[in-house]
Amino acid sequence: MRIAVLVKQVPASDKVKMDEETGTMVRSALDAELNPLDLYAVEEAIRIKEKTNGAEITVVSMGPPRAVDAIKEAIAMGCDSGVLLSDKVFGGADTWATARTLSAALEKLGTFDLIFSGERATDGETGQVGPSVAAQLDMPALTYVSKIRQIGDGKIVVERAIEGGHEVVESSLPALLSVVKEINEPRMPNLTGKIRARKTEVLTMTAADVGLDSSTTGLTGSPTRVVKVFYPSMSRNGTIVDGRDPDDAVQKLLQFLNEKALV
Amino acid sequence: MEYNKVTAETIEELRRIFGERNVLTEVEKIEPYSHDESGTQFKHMPEVVVKAENEDQIAQLMKLANREHIPVTPRGAGSGLAASAVPLHGGIVLAMEKMNRILEIDEVNMVAVCEPAVVTNDLCRAVADKGLFYAGYPMSVEESYIASNVVTNAGGSKVVKYGSTRSHVLGLECISPTGEKLVLGGKRRKETSGYSLLQLMIGSEGTLGIVTKVIVNLMPAPGVTVDLLVPFANFDDAVKASSNIIRTTKVYPVTMEFMDGFSVRETTEYFNLPSLPAQDKAEAYLLFTFEGKNQEELDELAEKAGTACLDMGALDVFVASTKTESEKVWKVRTSMPDCVTTKYRHMLAGDVVVPRSEVAEFIAKTQDVMKKYTGLKLTFFGHIGDGNIHPNFLDTLGEYTDEEWLKVAEQAYGEVCMLGSQLGGTVSGEHGIGLGKKTVLRQTLGEYPISLMKGIKKVFDPNSILNPDKIFDLEQ
Repeated sequence: MRIAVLVKQVPASDKVKMDEETGTMVRSALDAELNPLDLYAVEEAIRIKEKTNGAEITVVSMGPPRAVDAIKEAIAMGCDSGVLLSDKVFGGADTWATARTLSAALEKLGTFDLIFSGERATDGETGQVGPSVAAQLDMPALTYVSKIRQIGDGKIVVERAIEGGHEVVESSLPALLSVVKEINEPRMPNLTGKIRARKTEVLTMTAADVGLDSSTTGLTGSPTRVVKVFYPSMSRNGTIVDGRDPDDAVQKLLQFLNEKALV
Repeated sequence: MEYNKVTAETIEELRRIFGERNVLTEVEKIEPYSHDESGTQFKHMPEVVVKAENEDQIAQLMKLANREHIPVTPRGAGSGLAASAVPLHGGIVLAMEKMNRILEIDEVNMVAVCEPAVVTNDLCRAVADKGLFYAGYPMSVEESYIASNVVTNAGGSKVVKYGSTRSHVLGLECISPTGEKLVLGGKRRKETSGYSLLQLMIGSEGTLGIVTKVIVNLMPAPGVTVDLLVPFANFDDAVKASSNIIRTTKVYPVTMEFMDGFSVRETTEYFNLPSLPAQDKAEAYLLFTFEGKNQEELDELAEKAGTACLDMGALDVFVASTKTESEKVWKVRTSMPDCVTTKYRHMLAGDVVVPRSEVAEFIAKTQDVMKKYTGLKLTFFGHIGDGNIHPNFLDTLGEYTDEEWLKVAEQAYGEVCMLGSQLGGTVSGEHGIGLGKKTVLRQTLGEYPISLMKGIKKVFDPNSILNPDKIFDLEQ
């Protein structure tokens, strides 16, 4: 069984700065890490590998050269190999262009039975890339997967987290699964895994390698236009009730709640 | 020591000094100021709480308190574990919480100037934004105040490499117990100008003065870090590895923490945190942090230390190199004190420190001591890298009354402290003496050093107004 896991390197910081001209994130000078929600996808892929003879996991990511660290983290956890899509022309891609680039690479890398992605990345917060890859590769997308019940005989049965419960879905393989946090508890890599990851060569592919024209990648290949970027301001319109006379304070609070129809 | 009660006239005068809103007298408002995190056994209500906004108010307060002979207990965030901030004789609690501004981050002199109630983590974050680093790191970093760190000479997990808070303090401004202003040290980095009152003030637990301004040393931010989490199936193997690892590998960690299996299981269950790797098999963990200039250096350090741990009997070596993984591990470690203080009604947070070479023997001998105490559980988590392994005494069965507990815990801790002392250790590495460890301090130090301390206290505070009967009893 061939498994691919799509991962992203994200800023390991809550203080994300935006480039107001392009509407994209300023990624330099930030600590980066493997997207925390991708850890669940990596873990689930490894669990399948551990139960399946001859299964092999390839980690695929698009990003700047240093995104290789995110791929190596996944390899340290137990994945076998890694592919980094890195090219200046990939820069500034929206979710559509990213999915297109990833899909082109996956096609070049041969057929996968299962493709995993995290629910979403903690920086962009869209959750679109996984399903979009499935669409572009014309395979079923199983989103919000909280449990894999069964795999085999060319099909998979999963539980999807939905509002108020879960639904059970059966799909043919190959398929793409985007998984939610509830699915597992990701392992921490051990020293042996880290050393193996350090020694594993990650394959780098450019636009030419995946057979894409630069007009269809990166910012130029992205249909999304960011019109305006601004930081939301937080403000509260508070009222302080003087509590020195408790009876009076209670009356005022009751009046307030009645006026707002809250009681 | 006999003191006068706070009168209506005194409260009026306090309102004139601090303003109406900064003087609290209602029971429900002053109750939180009656204890810290050392447990309810030391709880004592103040008569009034005042919140200072500037040093002039504090100077006026001390003059008033001396005149009226009313005790004053200064208080930070209340996260202390020694009851130093408990108003033992009632009187006035001086709450510092409103003086919480970072006044200056001076990049030329590489110092930060803070008001007393700046939360240490806020300072760490503010200086990090400028590429700088404050090396003081008590485990209560999210709540404790910088000046409180100073007056307890707080330690924490980074002491192995960077030293205690004392190593980072360059200057203090204080109000003396009699209301005089004291300027000690400054932005300068050296001083041989008479007795160091600065060093005396550090670690004085609010008995010699009230800190109103702190000047701390900053350094360039370290490069990259990695954490190693190392489970051991055998408790003793972990302890022995901790004593040997630095000597055999010459690798010097920023932190080396110890967690026993009991504390890890209790904490993850109590706070519903994800289990640590190998939690079902491990009886003890070591947790290391290494700093390196770059990833290559860090990889080399991790490999060297990790391999040595495996040779010394570790079950495995887990590497937390991302923020998410690191936070997961440290969340368990930093939640441990909260787990024991909230889960158990009775607990005593031990703070013995011994030379690193003696940790294994110390822990082994404590097991013998504990055999004679029933219903008393001894657990360990702490800074094993600097020998400050916290032996925590828990009333796991909950069968002791407050009074019985105080007696039995003090007796057991006394024995453990004597053990530590015989191995070249001392009774408190970072929490302070406060109320609970006065007896063991006297037992281990002897009378003469205590009499010198009393003499110093008398010079600073002739009327015994400021935080009396902490560290030692004034009339004994």
